[in-house]
Amino acid sequence: MKSRHFVYDLIQDTSSLPQPNLSIILKEFVPGYGSKGDTLTLRSNEAYKKFLVPGLAVYATPENVKKYETYKITTTEPEHSSLYSERTVSRLSQMVLEITMNKTQPWKLEPWHVRTSFRKSGFIVPEYAIEMPPMEIKGPDLSLQEKEFYVTVTVNNKEKVNVRCRIHHWATGLERLPWKEFHWKLPAEPLIPEQAEVLEQIPLPK
Amino acid sequence: MASSRLQVSARQLSRTFKGKGRFEIGIASELPKAYKKFWREWKVLKPAAVHFIPQEGKWKRDELTGQTLPIQNIPIPLKYPQEINLGIWGGEAVVKGFQKRDPKSRRVPHYWVPVLKRTVVKSEVLNTHLSVTVTDRTIKLIHDHYGFDHYLLKTPACDLVSMLALKLKRQILIELSNGCPRYAHNPEKQKEILDEYKTYLSSYTPDEIEWYGLSWFEALQKIAKQKEAANKPIPLKNIYRKNLLEKLKAEGIEEGNKSADEIS
Repeated sequence: MKSRHFVYDLIQDTSSLPQPNLSIILKEFVPGYGSKGDTLTLRSNEAYKKFLVPGLAVYATPENVKKYETYKITTTEPEHSSLYSERTVSRLSQMVLEITMNKTQPWKLEPWHVRTSFRKSGFIVPEYAIEMPPMEIKGPDLSLQEKEFYVTVTVNNKEKVNVRCRIHHWATGLERLPWKEFHWKLPAEPLIPEQAEVLEQIPLPK
Repeated sequence: MASSRLQVSARQLSRTFKGKGRFEIGIASELPKAYKKFWREWKVLKPAAVHFIPQEGKWKRDELTGQTLPIQNIPIPLKYPQEINLGIWGGEAVVKGFQKRDPKSRRVPHYWVPVLKRTVVKSEVLNTHLSVTVTDRTIKLIHDHYGFDHYLLKTPACDLVSMLALKLKRQILIELSNGCPRYAHNPEKQKEILDEYKTYLSSYTPDEIEWYGLSWFEALQKIAKQKEAANKPIPLKNIYRKNLLEKLKAEGIEEGNKSADEIS
């Protein structure tokens, strides 16, 4: 055999072929994807790296399909209200809600104030989902400025989450309070003594 | 001429002469049947077509001339670098040859090397994650077999090629034949896994599992060690001592008793 007998031609580059989809069955609830027993069809790379290697899912073989079918029939109530509720709860529990109140006019803190503050920071929260603190908060009172409390938000009438709140007194011109850098990162005293224990456990944003 | 006295020519002799095979020389002749079976699966069997598209049938017709031509599925000669044993390449290897990049220019030497990736594979039976060098074909095969263990257990040694894959397969087989001791803390899971993989055990005897996945030199070392352990020489001093004791027993025990009495 001579060199001329070993001239090869590339017919197909298999590394550049499109990846076929892969069917998997979830072994447990995965936020954003599905609950236990759900069949997902994903790109094979995603299915392998995110689900099969960590052991969150199994291949949708005929035996596994049968095994998880019976599971779906027997379970009645879902553990989570939606696929994304866990993410919402984790976001809410990490935030500091800044409630902006007037520095000159008298006011009393009401649920719609909290709802508006939530909307300003990107969360649409209906009033019936907000549980106000037990004490009535009235202002303007500059001693409230450095203190914090929490309100309880119910997500989808199911998951409850405590959200850390701080009141900021707002005014224009010379009345305006000076800007504090990274004020949401600084620790504050609890306004209501009964809430102190819970507030200690909620992590401050980094 | 002296050579004319020969009945057969040298060429004829060379045709009838059959050289000694690998398993007929020295200590290798004592290797068990189980290892020969593995060797056949590893080195004699024809691996699957990876680097060429095999054509079906026996004959084909040239479209232009109508000439009948035989179909020859000759595998491309492959190079197996050392690194192949450190990863699991799924039957891929290095192709050495020439490229004709332009009809007017001279052919150029070229090596076609598979695209290697490092990824994590999960072994259910061994209950571990492994970081291994693989190719896309390996991952595809793992998906097609519904799992890494199924891929290793279903694929013959000639397609696994690499020593790493063979060693893992050997370990998995040993683990299964021992009843998965790694899952001793969770008997439910242990039973589940044994049920899932027990079909593979039926094609191996315990002896075959013991000799599976050994390289040639490892197998020779193993048989040599076994031989050495079987014919362990007994030191002469032990034999002489035994003989002496027997002799003493035959006549000298009373004497010994007497001397003991005398001392007391």
